[in-house]
Amino acid sequence: MAISRRQFLTRTALGIGAAAAPGLLRSAGAASRDRVTIYHTSVADSINPYNHSSSPIYGDWQHVIEPLIELDYAKKEYVGVLAESWQFQGNKWVFKLRKGIKFHNGAPLTSRDVAFSVEKMRDEKGGSLQAPNFKDVTEVQTPDDQTVIFVTKQPLAIFLDRLENRFILSKVAGDKFGDKLYDNLIGTGPYKFVSYQRGGNLVFTRNDEYWGGKAAIKEVIFRKVTEDAARLAALESGQADFINNVPDHEVARLQKHPRVRIDKVEGLRMFFLAFNMAFKPWDNKLVRQAANYCVDAPAIIKNIFDGIGYPINGPVGANVIGADPALKRYPYDPQKARQLLAQAGFPNGCDIQLYYSAGRYPKDREVCQVVAAQMVKGGFRVELISQEWALFWDKQGVNGGKLPFYYIGRGSLTDADTLYDQYFRTGTTKRTNYSNPELDKIIEEQQKTADQKKRVALLRRAGKIIMEEATFIPLYNLADIYGLARNLIWKMRPDEKVLGWDMKIK
Amino acid sequence: MFSLRYLKIWVGGAILLLLCVCGVAAPLLAPRDPQAQTLEDRLRPPRWSENGVPAYLLGTDNLGRDMLSRIIYGSRISLMVGAATVVFAGLVGCILGAVAGYFGRAADEIVSKVSEIFLAFPFLLIAIAIMAFLGQGVGNLIFALMLSRWVQYCRVVRGEVLSLRERDFVTAAKALGGRDWYVLFRHVLPNTLASVTVIATFSMAIVIIAEASLSFLGLGVPVHIPTWGSMLSEGRSYINRAPWLTIFPGLAIFITVFGINLLGDGLRDVLDPKLRRQR
Repeated sequence: MAISRRQFLTRTALGIGAAAAPGLLRSAGAASRDRVTIYHTSVADSINPYNHSSSPIYGDWQHVIEPLIELDYAKKEYVGVLAESWQFQGNKWVFKLRKGIKFHNGAPLTSRDVAFSVEKMRDEKGGSLQAPNFKDVTEVQTPDDQTVIFVTKQPLAIFLDRLENRFILSKVAGDKFGDKLYDNLIGTGPYKFVSYQRGGNLVFTRNDEYWGGKAAIKEVIFRKVTEDAARLAALESGQADFINNVPDHEVARLQKHPRVRIDKVEGLRMFFLAFNMAFKPWDNKLVRQAANYCVDAPAIIKNIFDGIGYPINGPVGANVIGADPALKRYPYDPQKARQLLAQAGFPNGCDIQLYYSAGRYPKDREVCQVVAAQMVKGGFRVELISQEWALFWDKQGVNGGKLPFYYIGRGSLTDADTLYDQYFRTGTTKRTNYSNPELDKIIEEQQKTADQKKRVALLRRAGKIIMEEATFIPLYNLADIYGLARNLIWKMRPDEKVLGWDMKIK
Repeated sequence: MFSLRYLKIWVGGAILLLLCVCGVAAPLLAPRDPQAQTLEDRLRPPRWSENGVPAYLLGTDNLGRDMLSRIIYGSRISLMVGAATVVFAGLVGCILGAVAGYFGRAADEIVSKVSEIFLAFPFLLIAIAIMAFLGQGVGNLIFALMLSRWVQYCRVVRGEVLSLRERDFVTAAKALGGRDWYVLFRHVLPNTLASVTVIATFSMAIVIIAEASLSFLGLGVPVHIPTWGSMLSEGRSYINRAPWLTIFPGLAIFITVFGINLLGDGLRDVLDPKLRRQR
């Protein structure tokens, strides 16, 4: 059929109008009382709830399956969810489960469900990416229905940190469905799993018999939308009730919007520039210190993020366990940087490459351009190289120890141990190839120490060494900026999780 | 010479010439270093608007870099990539097309099949695939665009040569003892020049847009070289707060492509034998 250009245009316009109409009609009303639609940059990519290790995706699955314990961010201590109480006994962690909790299929929660779930989490061949959390666990014992004992190689004081976000599913359902276990996900959570489409909707419906009390919202829908403009448009038109990662320069405009509200919270993702010390010139401490003197993180926050960010003093942010208020970041001093560079044997400056993955983090391309310009003032000549995230993060990149210097964000960082162990302890990863026996010893000792005060003291000692050695350039935490329908009330969290039972409609 | 018939050529040519001057004399014309960041002056609107400052005629971008200087420097990449691609793609396309058309048989079969394979893919898609494979860089960009643009020349030249080789003057040249290659390059190819010129101008406009598109997608030249496409891309997220970040590079692309198309249109009017006969 031949159609003229004009016909084509009219028909296209009609088509677009028809497609947009339902959205426009909805925007007249408010968020539905029964349903909340969430457009998020990061939503589960697989039906296997253990096939990731990313904070927002933990939030997705936590609707259905629940952890034994959870961190209370206000109190900075762990509180029980499925576990009622726990004890640290040498190389054992003993958990007592809460009584009277039932799975969505009616079966009671027992210690066998915990052992079964741990087995699934350790099943790397089956797709789990959470196995390393149990690398020190030698055995899971189930002496009775309510008691679970984790036996570890050596005393492991930081085990609660590893056990956070380890969710428990039903063994009864597992035995029944076998390979189809994840298509029929059965947990104890406040919501039941309804459906999942890759690239489409992830749908949960309320569990009216939830042991912790019924949630207010009946249906929760997650959809992955990575394009900023698309998420914003959906929120403004009423298609979405909740979006994450609102660009900071849109905040002022959205605050005047009739049906939209903005919520900000200091995020737990810590951004930094990491050196790989297997590469020259980063094996030289003076060069690393020089680089630290060049980078002006407060200026980046002020100018690139409109002031919505929190510079990090010392090796970790102030709200992280193990932070030391006595430690300060290297001040911005390009003159000093040039001196140090000359001292290190680079009187005429030094050529370096800075890697990043454009689009992965807020405004990463701008940040790296500013960092490059700042480092030029301190005597470095910087080449910027952007790589696809898969290439950047995988064995060819950061995790294979292949990148000399890169911009990265470590998500849901609540305990300094996580960062120190992962980045600066000999052999844990190849991300920085840093090796310092003294630091290794402190990290190991700290992991065995049950007394939190003593452990924090050890973490502070480690932090002091890390700052003196300038093993990386700590930058900032950013605000997590959320856009919500005005009539939606929710309890903000700093860990990038969006939870349906935290929400209510006015 | 100044008749209405040549108006398009004059206007288009003038625009192109102006751009060439901009590109060549960028260091003299640009008021500032296009890379110099002045973070305190970021997102300044153009001089004539309410909060504009005299120092920045077209305002500054999200890192406090002078928009005018970046646009002047950006013309270098656009024109260089456009011109180089047109020349290389034209050379490759013309030679292959001429060989295929003149010698026929196996040569024709091979060249035609290869060019059909290239035609089967959308042009920008080939360029994206090649850039993703080769990585950023001006040289890579020109190579990728050339690989996806030569086919057009090849098809047209082949068709023209096919009809030209049967003409009397070619037979005459052969009868006088001219070797095939001599006849082809001395007598046949020069006669395709009119069509090639027209294709080249239109192709240049398309290539400039393609360069902008690839830079917009982050597949063009490295981030520290200012180009109109990457300026558009970076300014996109500020379109509500600072529309001048996208308006000026957009205008620059528009004017350039408009000028080149005008020139191509004018050339076609003058050179196209069909149109000539109608007059």
